[in-house]
Amino acid sequence: MTTGQRAAAPVRGAVSLLRAAAAHPAYGWGTAFVALLGLPLLVSNGYQQYLLDLIMINIVLAVGLNIVKGFAGQVNVGHLAIAAIGAYTSAVLSTKFGMTFWFALPLATLSAGIVGAVVGVPSFRLEGAYLALATLGLAESVRIFIAVTDYLGASIGYGDIPPPIIAGWRLDSYAAYYYVVMPIAVAGTYIAFSILHSDIGRAFKAIREDTLAAAAAGIAVRKYKLLAFLISALYAGCAGSLAAHMAPGFIHPDDFNLTRMITVILMVVAGGLGHVWGGVIGAALITLIAEWTRSYYQYEFIIFGLIVVLTMMYMPRGIGGYIDRRLATRRFVAQRRGKTAANMT
Amino acid sequence: MLRLTTVLAALVAAGMAFSIRPASAEDGVIRIGMTLRMIVENGLKYGQLTAGELNALNDSGGIDGHKVQVILLDDECTAQKGVANTNRFIEQDKVHLIIGSICSSVTIPMVDITARAQVPQISPTSTARPVTEKGSAWIFRTAASERYFAAVHAKYLAENAGKKVAYMYTTDAAGTSFVTQYQQFMKDTYQVDPVFSAQQQETDLDFRSNLLKIKSLNPDVLALAGQSDAIARIVTQALEVGIPRKVARVSASAASNAPVPETAGDAVIGLIFSAAFVCTDPRPEAQAFVKLVQDKYQVRCPDHDWAQSYETAQIVKEALKRAGPKLKLTDASLAEDRTTIRDAFASIQDYQGVVPGKISFCADPTPQCRDGNRTPILVQYTKGGKDYEMKQLATVTFDPDFGLKK
Repeated sequence: MTTGQRAAAPVRGAVSLLRAAAAHPAYGWGTAFVALLGLPLLVSNGYQQYLLDLIMINIVLAVGLNIVKGFAGQVNVGHLAIAAIGAYTSAVLSTKFGMTFWFALPLATLSAGIVGAVVGVPSFRLEGAYLALATLGLAESVRIFIAVTDYLGASIGYGDIPPPIIAGWRLDSYAAYYYVVMPIAVAGTYIAFSILHSDIGRAFKAIREDTLAAAAAGIAVRKYKLLAFLISALYAGCAGSLAAHMAPGFIHPDDFNLTRMITVILMVVAGGLGHVWGGVIGAALITLIAEWTRSYYQYEFIIFGLIVVLTMMYMPRGIGGYIDRRLATRRFVAQRRGKTAANMT
Repeated sequence: MLRLTTVLAALVAAGMAFSIRPASAEDGVIRIGMTLRMIVENGLKYGQLTAGELNALNDSGGIDGHKVQVILLDDECTAQKGVANTNRFIEQDKVHLIIGSICSSVTIPMVDITARAQVPQISPTSTARPVTEKGSAWIFRTAASERYFAAVHAKYLAENAGKKVAYMYTTDAAGTSFVTQYQQFMKDTYQVDPVFSAQQQETDLDFRSNLLKIKSLNPDVLALAGQSDAIARIVTQALEVGIPRKVARVSASAASNAPVPETAGDAVIGLIFSAAFVCTDPRPEAQAFVKLVQDKYQVRCPDHDWAQSYETAQIVKEALKRAGPKLKLTDASLAEDRTTIRDAFASIQDYQGVVPGKISFCADPTPQCRDGNRTPILVQYTKGGKDYEMKQLATVTFDPDFGLKK
């Protein structure tokens, strides 16, 4: 070994170590997390910071809906109603029972999960449009119940919900709140990926493709349907709680109406059903489009609808599906090139 | 995985870049943010009227030579969109004051944001009590508070029709606020409970089953509340099920909106409602306003929301004129300019515009100081249909403390 070769050895070692680290899935998540930590530095004012927070909350909401609809193929129009349950539970716990955000959030998430599991029961017998109607009933019932219940602020709304507090520091600015919602959104996305690639995820997909075939293959269809609704509801409840505690700490039953539910469904559909990225990209995109088109309120719905129609025309599997397909194609081409090169040598 | 996560980060960053536009904080310009319910026909016109009045300032040289820029956004009467618009006005557009919203459920969360950011806010039509009872030093409203509105009917009808009141209302804020206040007044003043009270959805088309129950109870007064289309349906169906006209019918201020008499036709005759303005007001300034709306917007009889929108624009003009000489209008002086405008609002006393009541504000962050209009009027329809008519029954000016907990 020459002197030059000896000097280069540690560098090669470090490079190979970095390559090995980069191959680990945690590297990608770590990179994304660090990139997202610095994202507030790119925004120039509180409004854009507010949008970032809203995107993160919508990511939790959309990724959750994708689990039940995209992974398990169960139609759920009541997702936002479950978010409302999470929001109001968290609001009541923190304002009437004096709980801090850190206790109210998990309890609200859990309550929403329980309700979600109950909502999942009709899915044992109902499918498609019938299940949609059953969950639609839930969605409207929850909204109406809140709108007529004085204890929950009725149609005036529920206010003065406190922000999270850490060691006496109130996280009531949008910039500070980002560091509460962003890690939850990243964790939620990571968990969704883990579910998708686990036995549970495979069972969900089997049920989505053919319930009878899945049952014949030994999958406990009822158990997994219930699980899909439960997990999805946990996401919705968490998103609801996060929305309730964000400044100005005010929620209203109309924030959980059908129009908004359609927007959340659009996030998942435009992003790509069954693709975790679908929820993430869809949430970011639709939130921004909705905000951007507000300046053109006369044409808002036309612009909004046109963008969605074009997405569906040119990317029928949504943006997430498009990205997944592109990546799969690239992998396939790279593999073929590798094999051809190996054959030639 | 690495690629996908990079894509995620890039997408969010690109998305933010997509939404980012430089703050339109041009020096020397007075910026006014308006967030209203613009997707319904009336809301659109109220917004256009207010914005038009303020933009007209520029034709007459602006405020001390400074141009006025109005940024008008739609909030669809939803709290979340109202909050988003308010954040945008304050942080991105760097407005000097905010007008909005129409719906109380949107105005209430906005109050928290404007109080925190210290931006003056004025609401043209929100009547709910919490708007000014939150203790914000930055909120003003030209609408009469619901504490005045509900009391004026309740007192008039208890003295002239009777105390057996049946309530039929919808679940929206307009319906519940009116009924809650009415019932509270009857309970506190006469120790009377409702003979019947039922709530239905604002989108319901059929109220007959509840109205039939009301008929069987033979009340003195039928109090009905909700948005204008619901009021029109209830008042029509009340007559259809046979509730006699001798049962006094009373409704919230939304009954003043033109769709009520136009849709309900002659069923509306006798319906009493409280409002801040009636188009038959003979005062010259009121008739000049009616003519302006007739000529510009082809509306025969502008309701009280038209008047309150116009009045809000006039109050804003007045405040800007008072603040004008002190405004520096640079990026650095934004906070100071906002305070100057807030103080100019607070200095307005006994302003007489198109609504019958004088509007007065003062410095304390209390409802007494910030509920500017304390004069509701009681109006009764005398004819329905497209060429509906009405008459003014009473005008009552309340004490600033009226209806507040001692």
